[in-house]
Amino acid sequence: MPVESGSARRSVAAPWMFQAAMGLPGAFVTLVFILFALALVLFLALRGNDGSLLGQGFTLANFEALVTDPLYAMVMARSLVIAGIVTLATVVTAYPVAWYLAFHAGRRRSLILFLVTLPFWTSYLLRVFAWRIILAYNGVLNSALIGLGIIDQPLTLFINSPAAVVITLAHAYAPFAILPIYVALEAIPPSLKEAAADLGAKPFATFRRVILPLSMPGVMAGAVVVFVPTVGDYVTPALVGGPASTMIGSLIQSSFGKANDWPFGAALAVAVMAVILLVGLVTRSVNRRAGGIA
Amino acid sequence: MSIKDFSTRLPTALAAAVSLCAMVAAAPAGAADKLTYFTWSGYELPDFHKSFTAAHPDSVEISTFGDDDDAFTKVKAGFHPDLAHPCYDKIARWNKEGLLEPIDTAKIKNWEKIFPVFRNLPDIQAGDGKVWMVPWDWGNTSILYRTDLVSNPEKSWNLLWDPQYAGRMATIDAVHDTPVVAALVAGVNPFDMSPAELDKVAEKLREQRPLLSSYTTDMTSVEQALTSGELVAAMTWNASAVALKKQGVPVEFMKPKEGMLTWACGFVMLKGTTHQDLAYDFINSRLEADSGKALIESYGYGASTSSAFAAAPPADLKALELPDDPDTVLKSTVFTGPMKQNDELSKMFEKVKAGG
Repeated sequence: MPVESGSARRSVAAPWMFQAAMGLPGAFVTLVFILFALALVLFLALRGNDGSLLGQGFTLANFEALVTDPLYAMVMARSLVIAGIVTLATVVTAYPVAWYLAFHAGRRRSLILFLVTLPFWTSYLLRVFAWRIILAYNGVLNSALIGLGIIDQPLTLFINSPAAVVITLAHAYAPFAILPIYVALEAIPPSLKEAAADLGAKPFATFRRVILPLSMPGVMAGAVVVFVPTVGDYVTPALVGGPASTMIGSLIQSSFGKANDWPFGAALAVAVMAVILLVGLVTRSVNRRAGGIA
Repeated sequence: MSIKDFSTRLPTALAAAVSLCAMVAAAPAGAADKLTYFTWSGYELPDFHKSFTAAHPDSVEISTFGDDDDAFTKVKAGFHPDLAHPCYDKIARWNKEGLLEPIDTAKIKNWEKIFPVFRNLPDIQAGDGKVWMVPWDWGNTSILYRTDLVSNPEKSWNLLWDPQYAGRMATIDAVHDTPVVAALVAGVNPFDMSPAELDKVAEKLREQRPLLSSYTTDMTSVEQALTSGELVAAMTWNASAVALKKQGVPVEFMKPKEGMLTWACGFVMLKGTTHQDLAYDFINSRLEADSGKALIESYGYGASTSSAFAAAPPADLKALELPDDPDTVLKSTVFTGPMKQNDELSKMFEKVKAGG
């Protein structure tokens, strides 16, 4: 911290105290709710299950079961694939919205930003149920398809399928992708577009060579914000997923619930954290190699 | 924000979320001067404890669960209601964890009116005129199917394994339902099985999984899906049969040759309750003939007392196929008692559901 010379003692002490006071809540939250909780999960993951709250003894059996039983790798892979598709779908659909917001919305910008955040005015659960109404057997989509004469029997493949999970999650997380991409696009100086046009670049070339690379940090930030929570989601698969879309979050939830094996649930949680960390690191290095800024 | 920020904060944020969930589950319930009651969803109706409400207006706080194994872990994690409502097969498990307070039958006015078959259940005896659970309700689990979409099925649980109805069936997401039935179909004793027999049950459940549209405890959704024809058959409790017949949906509650499942549930008092008097008043109110009659008429479940059956019109009981003596029912059904391998079974069931 730079110390200003010549001023009174008070004004040297005050910034220090101010900073400490400002940092205190954050430090408290970090220590108690994050580091302590994380340590507790790690501790629990190494315990044996005897049905009691914190388990007994120390063992690596939980991790052994995770590695040796192919079920867990399969469910983890399924979660990564579902979250990956959700992320891709969200970013691809969010980009044009962010583009329009940044370059063409003009006076309507704040109205559109408001509309983008509108889904957050209702609870997440209600949004999932809304999709159930749309995708159900006698729901909006099936009725529309029958009305249009495309099918004559309602299809059962919309609801209780991994596709339903992808659609629901992609809708729920759209604003998380739109906002960072919008911010990144907004920050690009208009002069760059003009310069590209002056040098003879067609609009698509400008987009591919100038705009897209410069907005990549926003895209990556949006992708991470969507990907990470969706990997661990368990509410959506439970409500619209059916048996074929059990995700790793569902397994963690059931370990802490019905299966009554908290240490194993903790081990699963640790494994998920490790996998997400790995995915994060790989993404970062790929992004670096590709010349991205982030 | 840069990626670096995210990748360093992610694991911690995730852990925080997990522990936050645990903390929410552990949060103490309700106001201090109210009785807290933790029960199956649907069992909170005010009609079931009218006299309690008259004597103590606005003094019960009710939270609900969809499965009593979930309820068990919630209580184990620190949620301390005064009264809870698990089923008989779970009592030994709750007791082993030291969660229960014995209930003095001398303070239960209608104790003698409870059918002896429930009063004498072995796991509820706490000795010295005390019990761990006061039985309140009983009912059956079977297959509810659309008579117009499933024509003349063999009367067997095997219907839920019939590939011609793939994707149009559902079962109950609870250990004392789906795995018990799988054991019956596999010819294994559901209540005590060897590891080899457990594998047999797992095999049966694996065979069923691809045929199901869902495992659920959300009976409203199941009833809606049966009404719309999305589901043609589902494992349900008899309340769903009563509800759909009332709506005129062509359904039948099967009497499988392997036997329906019959369950009994009741009130337990949790250790450390500070509202003992209110709790006894509440239990007494629920054991009145009127309350039991309301249970019979709203859901078609059996009340635990003979006085409730005496209060219900015989024509109603006939329509509900509810004999006024549970012993008659139990002759042809399988009573879900405690399962020795409950933990192993539930862990296996969770794995099978996930595709393992």
